[in-house]
Amino acid sequence: MYLNNFEYFAPKTPGEALDLVGRMGNKAKVLAGGTDLIIMMKEKMIQPEYLIDINNVKEFKGISYEPGKGAVIGAATKISELEYSPVIRDKYFALHQAAGELGSVQVRTMATIGGNSCHASPAAETPTPLVAFGAKVVISSVSGDRELPLEEFILGNRKNALGEGELLTQFILPEPAPKSASRYWYIGLRDAMEIDAVNMAVNIVLENDGRTVKELTLVMGSVSPRPLVSVEVPGILVGKEFNSELVEKAAQAAAGEAKPISDIRASAEYRREVTAVLARRLLQAAFDAAREV
Amino acid sequence: MKQLIELTINNRVYEVPVSPKDLLADVIRDKVRLTGTKKGCGQGDCGACTVLIDGEPVLSCLTLAIACQEKKIDTIEGLVAEDGQLHPIQQAYVDHGAVQCGFCTPGMILTSKALLDRNPKPSEEEIKRGISGNICRCTGYKKIVEAIFAAGETISTAGVK
Ligand SMILES: Cc1cc2nc3c(=O)[nH]c(=O)nc-3n(C[C@H](O)[C@H](O)[C@H](O)COP(=O)(O)OP(=O)(O)OC[C@H]3O[C@@H](n4cnc5c(N)ncnc54)[C@H](O)[C@@H]3O)c2cc1C
Ligand code: FES
Ligand code: FES
Repeated sequence: MYLNNFEYFAPKTPGEALDLVGRMGNKAKVLAGGTDLIIMMKEKMIQPEYLIDINNVKEFKGISYEPGKGAVIGAATKISELEYSPVIRDKYFALHQAAGELGSVQVRTMATIGGNSCHASPAAETPTPLVAFGAKVVISSVSGDRELPLEEFILGNRKNALGEGELLTQFILPEPAPKSASRYWYIGLRDAMEIDAVNMAVNIVLENDGRTVKELTLVMGSVSPRPLVSVEVPGILVGKEFNSELVEKAAQAAAGEAKPISDIRASAEYRREVTAVLARRLLQAAFDAAREV
Repeated sequence: MKQLIELTINNRVYEVPVSPKDLLADVIRDKVRLTGTKKGCGQGDCGACTVLIDGEPVLSCLTLAIACQEKKIDTIEGLVAEDGQLHPIQQAYVDHGAVQCGFCTPGMILTSKALLDRNPKPSEEEIKRGISGNICRCTGYKKIVEAIFAAGETISTAGVK
């Protein structure tokens, strides 16, 4: 369980970091929290010649929020910072919940939001709520920045849209709509330190009457190679008065859309079943919360 | 490939030769010779290697030593006072029989410290959640939870850190 030899760089400014990433290309790996990377190196799945540690670049860290505009989160922001951030809790509750459920306290102290989406495990915690919020990512290189919806950034298990010489630098979250609320949850085989069998986030917006669904996003994790945005659930609920009959129909529709696999953690059948359970619970919880705002 | 770096461990500065690939757990144990920090799984799962970096609990088996320059590292050895008196958390573990083989104990105690620094009066649920990244094969956790609870009481009444 030892690592290969590599050269280590710790840039202090965005310019230095982008320059290094540009010059070293595929021979380098970016080191954020290392909670996926170091394990992959220990297992000799990858043997990079260079590591570019981005933790000393303060511009890549932190959460800023501007009322009416939304939040910008640096890619190297720690999961624990999201977990404890009052703004994330108040405005993006599903992300607060997901951050609090990732790994253990030690893992949350080390791991970053950027690493979670770059590693792109289908069972990853934070991409699910981030996609539900319509988050965009900022991808930077020496030649400038480009933006992409997170949904299009994650291409599949361990595959993302970064090209050679590119770094993920920010997440941009739109301001939540009035009368909206979000909820996240997961089902695994045990409570703590478990890789999710299924996870899900719901973001709901109500009309002024507090009963009619104006907009709805339901995103499923771990039931497809990338976060799966339900098409059918909004079709069933948007424009309708929220009621338990429609919720049941929506839950079955979500389970039908899920494309789970059977693996060591759960069978496909079980995953489809708990997809319906999570959908039912989260739709209700998000609706109840949205009525309160 | 080796270079000399400075690591501040338990408020003492150590100069150690490291390669970039050297993990903090190995450097602390084999080079600095502080063997209180344990290495169990080496994969982030067991928490035996937990140390505090700038007060936060970190897995030293997944951390590069070279990335820890200019940081404040605390290991279990640093908890004991100069005069040899145990830290209230250590004392509580002893008093409550929360130590059996002791392999998990250094990591468990440092995780407990980080938890109590953030929240001196945690509920049972909060304690269980706080130590969910530390595996103990011996105690069944109950006495550990009791020890942390008691240590929290002592710390908040005595005002020690
Ligand atoms: C014990 C344990 C439990 C875990 N539990 C969970 C869990 O419950 N849920 C969960 O989702 N994950 C879990 N993980 C996985 C891991 O902690 C997360 O995926 C984490 O968010 C990864 O972030 P990191 O900063 O550590 O990434 P790193 O390991 O540093 O990097 C991961 C990958 O992304 C690349 N990368 C990182 N940042 C950038 C960037 N800004 N630009 C370009 N490339 C980048 C790296 O080069 C690397 O390929 C667990 C891991 C461990 C060890
Ligand atoms: S040795 Fe580091 S977590 Fe097990
Ligand atoms: S006391 Fe033996 S592992 Fe915890």
